[in-house]
Amino acid sequence: MTAVMGEQSSSVDPNTAPRHSASSVRWARRLEVFREVLRNPLTVIGFVIIILFLLMAIFAPLLVGANEPDPYQSPRDWANIDVPPGEAGHVLGTDSTGGDVLYGIVWGSRLSLQLSLTVVISTLVIGTIVGSVAAMRGGRVDNFLMRIVDVFLAIPELIFALAIAAVLGPSFRNIILALAVVFWVKYARIIRGEIIRVKQTDYVAAAKVVGDSTWNVYRKDVLPNAITPMVVQATLDMGNVVLIGAALSYIGLAQAGLTEWGAMVSAGQSGILAGQWWVSTFAGLAILLWALAFNLVGDGLRDVLDPKTEGR
Amino acid sequence: MAHDALLRVEGLTVDFQTSRGLARAVDDVSFSIKRGETLALAGETGCGKSVTARSILRLVPQPPGIYSAGSIYFQGIEESEPLDVLEASEQQVRALRGDRIAMVFQDPSKALNPALTIGRQLGEVFAEHREASVFESAGLGSRSRGASRYLRHRGGLVRRTAYRFTHPSATKRLTEALDERVLQALADTGVPNPRKVMTSYPHELSGGMKQRVMIAQALACDPDLLIADEPTTALDVTIQARILDLLSELQERKGTAILYITHDLSLVRQIADRLAVMYAGRIAEIGDCRDLLSAPLHPYTQGLMNAIPRAETKRGELAAIPGTVPVLIDAPRQCHFVSRCAWAGKACTTHIPGESHPLPDRLVSCLRFESAAAVGAAPGDMPQQYASAEVTT
Amino acid sequence: MQVRQYLIRRLMLLPLIMIGVSIIVFTLTRFTGSPVGIYATPNMTPDEVAALEARYRLDEPIPVQYAYWLGGVLRGDLGWSGVSVAPVTEVIGLKMTATLELALAAALIAILGGIALGTIAGVRRNRGPDHAARFFAIAGASTPTFWFGLLLLIPFYLWLDWFPLGRSTPEIFDSITHPTGLYTLDSLLNGNVSAFWDAIRHLVLPAVVLAFGAMAIIVRMMRSSMVETMSEEYVDAARAKGLPEREVVKKHARRNAFVPTATVIGLSFGFLLQGAVAVELIFRWPGLGSWVTSAILSGDQATIMAYVLVTALIFMLVNLAVDIAYAYLDRRVVLGG
Repeated sequence: MTAVMGEQSSSVDPNTAPRHSASSVRWARRLEVFREVLRNPLTVIGFVIIILFLLMAIFAPLLVGANEPDPYQSPRDWANIDVPPGEAGHVLGTDSTGGDVLYGIVWGSRLSLQLSLTVVISTLVIGTIVGSVAAMRGGRVDNFLMRIVDVFLAIPELIFALAIAAVLGPSFRNIILALAVVFWVKYARIIRGEIIRVKQTDYVAAAKVVGDSTWNVYRKDVLPNAITPMVVQATLDMGNVVLIGAALSYIGLAQAGLTEWGAMVSAGQSGILAGQWWVSTFAGLAILLWALAFNLVGDGLRDVLDPKTEGR
Repeated sequence: MAHDALLRVEGLTVDFQTSRGLARAVDDVSFSIKRGETLALAGETGCGKSVTARSILRLVPQPPGIYSAGSIYFQGIEESEPLDVLEASEQQVRALRGDRIAMVFQDPSKALNPALTIGRQLGEVFAEHREASVFESAGLGSRSRGASRYLRHRGGLVRRTAYRFTHPSATKRLTEALDERVLQALADTGVPNPRKVMTSYPHELSGGMKQRVMIAQALACDPDLLIADEPTTALDVTIQARILDLLSELQERKGTAILYITHDLSLVRQIADRLAVMYAGRIAEIGDCRDLLSAPLHPYTQGLMNAIPRAETKRGELAAIPGTVPVLIDAPRQCHFVSRCAWAGKACTTHIPGESHPLPDRLVSCLRFESAAAVGAAPGDMPQQYASAEVTT
Repeated sequence: MQVRQYLIRRLMLLPLIMIGVSIIVFTLTRFTGSPVGIYATPNMTPDEVAALEARYRLDEPIPVQYAYWLGGVLRGDLGWSGVSVAPVTEVIGLKMTATLELALAAALIAILGGIALGTIAGVRRNRGPDHAARFFAIAGASTPTFWFGLLLLIPFYLWLDWFPLGRSTPEIFDSITHPTGLYTLDSLLNGNVSAFWDAIRHLVLPAVVLAFGAMAIIVRMMRSSMVETMSEEYVDAARAKGLPEREVVKKHARRNAFVPTATVIGLSFGFLLQGAVAVELIFRWPGLGSWVTSAILSGDQATIMAYVLVTALIFMLVNLAVDIAYAYLDRRVVLGG
């Protein structure tokens, strides 16, 4: 006969409580999350930078014009090579072949967007499929697929991508391909871990008892919960992919003269010894800001969506 | 009240800085504990009993916690003057902790460091507070700084390892002296096979054993006061009884006073001499345990006793106190229980009840026991008077 | 006992994974124009080339080719390095020790600095040092290593001339013996102070640049780990025993915070190996990174493939070492508690 203090009766009458549909509750919750994310000033800064880059990429032809025949090659102003910022109509200066730095940065943002979106979306999809299959099937299929994942993870990302891009030949397209091949494993592992964790929870067991088909359980119970860490990782990867892609172009795995930020840093580095700092500095700054923005947003998302890893 | 009071809490008020404002967790709480007696501090979750207990050792983290008012006087046997824990220096408080006042925590799985062996953790108490005695048993007359540092685990890993290499025999004797004390402390609490337990890690022990170890650790230096913060909540009911027996047995043997925090009224009867009931950060009622439980005076306590189902309770008649615990941010100056009290009057929403003594050994904080004149309210606003017929048995 | 079992299991996994890696590397070699290019030296006669093709069974189905390729690898035949004009196996030892020295130096900086900074940040949460540490962590994760290296080159090499490029001054380097292959260690073993100083002077800048990104990861993990452990009940219990705050932080909180940080340290070594590619290029450090970049520019497949194999092996071994340390730090992991 224990008397535990604190027994209270509920004050809400279930018959008169307002009704909400499941989907409207979900959207309301997402809005709440979004608002919570925006409460962090750093995250807001990240968002702003991303939007600026997005606008820059979309409106590139309007901002600096499009070079013919290949807009991703900077127009060469041979009369004004190695010009410091602010002179001769070049806001950020020119490189040793007369290429306008500002032009490179603006069109480079398009390449960065292309690179990161393609890689992240494709790896998300592939990783989800592979990881889901592995986790839902279990047993030998799971074992086999996870061994493959382990092997992929044994090779550091940049080095793996480097080897693939080197073998396929130096081009931006191959960089995208190489990164896609390397990055999917992360997502496979995340979603597999999440599915296994969720599979063991009570509400999934309840769903199964009720007789829900495996696909339904997967769609309604497992997937929505597993999505959170994937979203965080995808956001962070939007930045990481550009960082590694820039490193690959820096080493020389992109076409010559491409308006890709990494390639620009490389092009400008010989000038540094002669005191021409602006090419490499601005190009590198662009990479930094891009990665920073996505890191800030990714961190902000993680703080909100996964409270146990951090408390403010 | 005077000289045989071991602990005297006077007007303790603790606030917490939250994102929504200043939350008052403990509001003008006063009570005292005599040497060797057991006071149970009972209340529901969130009533402030844990914060009160931790304040005695000044364990509440200073941001976000704030000791806004009050004093906690502790007078050990050796001291001539009581010490105000809240005003004392860091060193004085540390000297008290683990030595004169010790604490047993609620969940032994969480309160023991998973990375250290039991022996290491218990040994810390002796190393910190009984250094001289340990040195003596190790046969080391003069206390070299190196040895002291080694024992108390200070000075960095490099220096300690160096000392271990340069003074192998001294190190060995120190460790043995320490182990001896740890084994004794474990054996005192009836731990079977103490040597094995000493070399084990917390996760290798059962819940009941872990709690035994915690009690052993707390009583290691024969403290004057033991604070037990819901020590059996995380344990099975069967283990619960054994732990309670252990505590009362140890208390008898060592004469330790116990402050027993709980939310389970049925336990209280078994172990406590006196009982203090807390609600929403304030003391509702204090008195002799058995008397209080059989004849509660405060409406809250009465409600609780009513809620206990008995063999005679008919089906469908489970009583509960209507309403919920109020949120204590910028709380109005009134009785906190007013929203749930069946006897409340208008004066209860405008006045804070003081301390009344309707019975010789009873303190109640309720306007029912105060006169309208004393409170300064109109007689018609006062709550319904106390009538003995209302007390249910 | 159980710890040993766990480690043996992990140890057995290693060769399996390396075989998987070798399959990947082999697959990549078959993408190139002529697989025999790995083995062929520039001045071979067509007959010699044909002999090579026969030796490695290049006309047979792929699995057979793999078997012969793998056999070659295990016998020590990793092909001919065009950029070094020598068999790969001759050159790789030297390159490997150079990169290891750089990576170890960077790791030391990153781990010690990261743990210290992360601890301070975690203990003084949301105050000055914490904000600084978090800013540092995010900056480190967002900064391209190659750009950072260039940025530091300008003041420290160009203007101040404090730190020279490359790994050593040839005369001093040649004046001592090299038992371990690590310049710093060897100079100490030789008792040669000026050689040691020479080694350090060349090592500092590239090591710091390399450490930056890894340190950021470690700081962030250590910080969040400390925040978590500091709010654990046993930390309060330690305080309740009368222990001074410093000891509570070091002995109780930090010791448990190390555990998740250990895994991050293993991963950050991968970060170091990756960053080494750019850093070696910029600072003219004669290691695996600069070796493979020249190989890329000249299409030297053998070098690139050997590089992938070796780096993966190093990375795996480091992670294994971290797992061993982890198993000793947190017995619950092993014993399944």
